[in-house]
Amino acid sequence: MIKLINYEMKKHFYKRSLIIALLIFSIINVMKISSIYQNNSLISNSDSSKWCDVYWQLYDEYKGQITHEKIQKLLSVYRPIEKQTADLTASRRMDNPDTYTGNVYSDYYLLTWYYIQPMEYAYMYQSTADDIVKRALENMIFFRDLGNKYKLNQNKIIAKLFSDRSITDFSYTEMYQNYLKYDFSSLLVLLICMYGLVSVFVVEKESDMDMLLLTTEAGGKKTIVAKLSASTLFISFICLWFWLLDFIAFGLVFHSFEAASSPIYALKSFENASVSLTLGQYSFLSALIKTAGTLVIGLTFLLISLKSKNALIPFIWNIILISILVILKETLSGSEHILLKVINPFILVENNELFSKVEFINFFGIPILSYLAASGFAALSGAILTLIIHKAAKKNVIAGRR
Amino acid sequence: MNIKFHNVSKKYKSKQALDNITISLNNGIYGLLGANGAGKTTLINIFVGILKSDQGDITVNGTNVKDMGLNFLTHIGYLPQYPRFYKDFKVYDFLLYISALKEIPKEDAVKRSKNLIDIVNLGDVAYQKIGALSGGMRQRVGIAQAMLNNPDILILDEPTAGLDPQERIRFRNLITKFSENRIVLLATHIVSDVEFIANQVILLKEGHLIKQDSPEALMNEIDGKVWLVSTTDKIIREDNTHMKISNMYRENGNVQMRVIDDHKPDSSAMRVSPNLEDVFLYYNAEE
Repeated sequence: MIKLINYEMKKHFYKRSLIIALLIFSIINVMKISSIYQNNSLISNSDSSKWCDVYWQLYDEYKGQITHEKIQKLLSVYRPIEKQTADLTASRRMDNPDTYTGNVYSDYYLLTWYYIQPMEYAYMYQSTADDIVKRALENMIFFRDLGNKYKLNQNKIIAKLFSDRSITDFSYTEMYQNYLKYDFSSLLVLLICMYGLVSVFVVEKESDMDMLLLTTEAGGKKTIVAKLSASTLFISFICLWFWLLDFIAFGLVFHSFEAASSPIYALKSFENASVSLTLGQYSFLSALIKTAGTLVIGLTFLLISLKSKNALIPFIWNIILISILVILKETLSGSEHILLKVINPFILVENNELFSKVEFINFFGIPILSYLAASGFAALSGAILTLIIHKAAKKNVIAGRR
Repeated sequence: MNIKFHNVSKKYKSKQALDNITISLNNGIYGLLGANGAGKTTLINIFVGILKSDQGDITVNGTNVKDMGLNFLTHIGYLPQYPRFYKDFKVYDFLLYISALKEIPKEDAVKRSKNLIDIVNLGDVAYQKIGALSGGMRQRVGIAQAMLNNPDILILDEPTAGLDPQERIRFRNLITKFSENRIVLLATHIVSDVEFIANQVILLKEGHLIKQDSPEALMNEIDGKVWLVSTTDKIIREDNTHMKISNMYRENGNVQMRVIDDHKPDSSAMRVSPNLEDVFLYYNAEE
């Protein structure tokens, strides 16, 4: 079987055009990440202000565990600046030697956005989480009295999820903020997968090998399994390549891989995260979920091309499929139609929404977190698609009986 | 080795592609002859398991192929019609791949592939991509892959279509070389492909079995029905449009026609010995 999988890889994926596409897309991806840094980060080193230098200089003093001393020290720096800028009468000169950045207003905003607000958020998070747990516990009593088992269990999950949540460390999270909401590479992955997968079945017809394959011992079911396995490996490799490229490029461009051990809710956009993982763990989980979503969409590409005689028609259908999935995902984003959201495999590929808030699916009276429901549905879809492809692929009439 | 087709039939919507075909094959070369659409490929596809027959059975050495399952495929080598194969594969790699599909152990696969490359005279292009080969070379790759598992039954569907005369002769010789101790079923509409090498000819017409016999016997059957007629253009236009003419050529201002007819077509007609092309035309000409 390994030999057959290797040949399938050779037939469909060891193509110069595919490697060139991979390289070009990788370059585009890195350029896009770089542009995000230049456009979004106020402390990018290309910025003419001194924010970058000042930020990292101060960071050494405040990073790590948030302590009372550190807060007092920060406030002792911040309060006078806040006072100076409150009535907007302070000097606007840009070379003020008594400031960090040369301008007092600039100092104020740097400290507010990059130190005071994040540290305040981190410091206060525990009490926010405790409030949520408290309300969930109250709700549990209420719904128990009401006899609403579904809502009772829902609140039980929420209480468990938010209990013991706290952010103890202050760290530079800007890289993760941008990295975790970055979805451009997902589109590139889908395009490359589509290009590679569209030929998996079509090439046999285009080369008139489909008949010959059926007259060999391993050319029927085994070759289909080999094709599916090779396609899975190909998709996994492309995903792994881009997810690693994303992570490394973000780390290098933002000059930091820090905060990997901080909890995911250390990011404001994940304040109500549906998982309690560190940013490093979440990055890994997110990559896995993205890969799972890409696999399901990839299997759909294979199914579409299964009965086609040339690559053009399935290529068009695949483009239409991606467009529909993207439009559906965007249309339903933020809506209450959670079931419609989770049956779309594209939500696994761009999975921010699944993990940034707590949403439930009512599964026969059992509340299931939306990311679990989406993963389960994707696993089921993948199994069904694999089965359909296996059943629908042509087999030898004589050998197929056994 | 013996193959028997018992009342094999196949219908595509309203078209009867095969109608109760019953034939028996033993070791030797069998020319499956018929016009385009006669049912040759359908018969072959049913035999190799690509198509399902509507009725009838096929037995190999008395065992129904349906009961042989996957084991049946170990007995056959198949070259489909107009194969292009994978253009990016090198010849040697392609043979190794087919060996893997035929579940031939690697050591044997390497030995057998190299040996067949030599036999079909592709040594110079063994490491060239199939896409760069001529049609004739590609067909030789085709017969080599069919022979990899040393099959008892070799099935060749229109193997010489599109080949130049030299390649066609080379290919015919290869078929003869490979025919020892096995059944070779050679489907073609090119009569000369089978005329010199087939032990038996199976004539199909519109899904029906017309004849199965040796080329000599088939030619003997129409002995006395092939005539050489010398005539003029005018007569051809006016009177002879109904004739089965297997050949025409000009000589000394007249037109010499090779006519197939049960009766002497003209008082000046001369009887000539039939060839297999005459047989083909005799049974296949439009009514």
